[in-house]
Amino acid sequence: MNSREVDILLVEDSQEDADLALHALRRENLANNIFVVRDGEQALDFLFCREAFAQRSFDHSPKLVLLDLKLPKVDGIEVLKQIKSDPRTKTIPVVIMTSSKEERDLVDGYNLGANSYIQKPVDFHQFRETVKQVGLYWLVTNQPSIVNGGKQTAKQTS
Amino acid sequence: MDAIITVDYQQRIVLFNAAAERMFRCAAAEAIGQSIERFLPQRFRAAHGAHIRSFAETGVTNRAMGTLGALWAVRADGEEFQIEASISQVESGGKKLFTVILRDVTERKQAEEKLTAQAAELVRSEQALRAQTRMFQSVLDSMDEGLVTADEHGKFLLWNPAAEKIVGMGAKNLPVKEWAGHYGCYLPDGVTPFPTDQLPLVRAMRGEAADCEMFLRNPKLAEGVWIEATSRPLKDENGVLRGGVVAFRDVTRTKAAQREIRKLNAELEQRVLQRTAQLEAFTYSVSHDLRAPLRHIAGFSGILLEEFGPTLDPNAQHYLQRIEEGTRKMGLLVDELLNLARVGRHSLSLQVTGLNSIVQEVVSILKPESGGREVEWKIAELPFVDCDPVLIKQVLQNLMANALKFTRPRSRTVIEVGQIDENGHPAVFVRDNGVGFSMKYADKLFGVFQRLHRAEDFEGTGIGLATVQRIIQKHGGRVWVEAELDRGATFYFTIGAEEQTQQKSNAAMVGA
Repeated sequence: MNSREVDILLVEDSQEDADLALHALRRENLANNIFVVRDGEQALDFLFCREAFAQRSFDHSPKLVLLDLKLPKVDGIEVLKQIKSDPRTKTIPVVIMTSSKEERDLVDGYNLGANSYIQKPVDFHQFRETVKQVGLYWLVTNQPSIVNGGKQTAKQTS
Repeated sequence: MDAIITVDYQQRIVLFNAAAERMFRCAAAEAIGQSIERFLPQRFRAAHGAHIRSFAETGVTNRAMGTLGALWAVRADGEEFQIEASISQVESGGKKLFTVILRDVTERKQAEEKLTAQAAELVRSEQALRAQTRMFQSVLDSMDEGLVTADEHGKFLLWNPAAEKIVGMGAKNLPVKEWAGHYGCYLPDGVTPFPTDQLPLVRAMRGEAADCEMFLRNPKLAEGVWIEATSRPLKDENGVLRGGVVAFRDVTRTKAAQREIRKLNAELEQRVLQRTAQLEAFTYSVSHDLRAPLRHIAGFSGILLEEFGPTLDPNAQHYLQRIEEGTRKMGLLVDELLNLARVGRHSLSLQVTGLNSIVQEVVSILKPESGGREVEWKIAELPFVDCDPVLIKQVLQNLMANALKFTRPRSRTVIEVGQIDENGHPAVFVRDNGVGFSMKYADKLFGVFQRLHRAEDFEGTGIGLATVQRIIQKHGGRVWVEAELDRGATFYFTIGAEEQTQQKSNAAMVGA
């Protein structure tokens, strides 16, 4: 997969969760340009176009980041913090994937500006429905922001 | 006035003065010429005659009053009385005349007797007083309470041995304002000097009654002494303030024991909190971490069924459905366990809440579950309580959902939500006419995973009532149940000791 043209960056350390998410997105034909990274450090390298991703450009930032919270090396909250505190990345919509209500409360507590949440439900059908809606909203319905124009038009909803 | 009677040698009366007339109740005219013996009791007459004759022969002219001792005389009317007499003799013209001067000593004798009796009485009462004093002294000496009295000027009247032991010193008469300093009196904090004008004895001397606790820096005891003191004014028989009395006892050991109990209780409480927190943290992380593999099982079996279902044989499809069903139940279980753990982890956010509005909300939430059944909800007026409304809603939802669940076999369901008075506090109850249960299992009911019904009959995880109990405990309340097999069940709960039983005044707010 070409890391230059990416719609969705999926940050997920669990292979199973990643596969399930990919499966759900694929069903909705949203999986064409998904890039999966397995830890927070990789995610930041990808988004900030450095190290292994140095050839990437901020012009081609993903349209959506699906971010798990429990991640090796750099955790999801730290990743979110860095995304939202850098003008080059802060307009990228970030959807947090939480395992529980507590995790969501935790992120809200930091007031970091996550754009949305998916609580990974145990029920597969529910999970798929949620992934579908989030994917459709952020990739299809939502107008991408003009990142480098310094003007942000993306609706900051959650 | 003394009576004067003169008799001649033959004892005939020749002079009888006015006082004699009064003494003997006999007119002089009548007395004169008669023998003096007339005025002597019969039994003394012979002796008297002999006495006069011997007196005449002595040549002594005078015998003073009283030297003869008390004598007896008799009045004209026969009444005997006591006299003292002096006698003198003169010779006049060869005739001997004897003059007796008589004094009626009846009254004096009586007074003397009375005095003697009084003296004896006095001796007796003095003895009694001494005995009483000895008794009081031994009481004062042997009692454990310190007892100190002072007069209105602050002079100590009493300072018993216990007082000396407790204070660590004896009484010393000092100006009152130096008392607290001299005797080392401190407030119960042990460091603030006791204000002298507030000392119980000083207050008693002002006419006040006082009870207080005090710390004494007893110079003989390194750790000092805590006392409880009670003082009362001392008044005389006219009610005039004459000082004060203070009784005090050493409560150092009691206080130390109380402190020890408090410390142990606090430690125990702390340990329980720690254990509970550990357990809840454990429950939380286990159930949290269980979700991921569960999600994977559910996810992949779902994909399998969906994408390959048509090519699988019906048995395989059936097994996959069983897997799906199993994971769904386990998901529910994990969610409820998480919920239970969450109750323990979260602090209460209390606000005064009308329970009627919560109950109405729960009724509408449960409506879909009662579809097609005849369900009568009897909702009484409920109190306003200081509680966490989110958690109490969960309590009511669990109890009311249970009521709905266990009445399912009934053709007509009646679920009642009301309140009773439980020791002055409102207790809310949820009553159903469902299948009930035997009370011998009642103690199991609130334990995690404890179920009294088979899953085929009534589904459930066995966590709902444990959650109810945890929430109510967190509110400082109590939950209990009354039930009978096949006769329905009633669950009661109270919320804390400081329940606000103001439903009367707030009745208008119930509205909803």
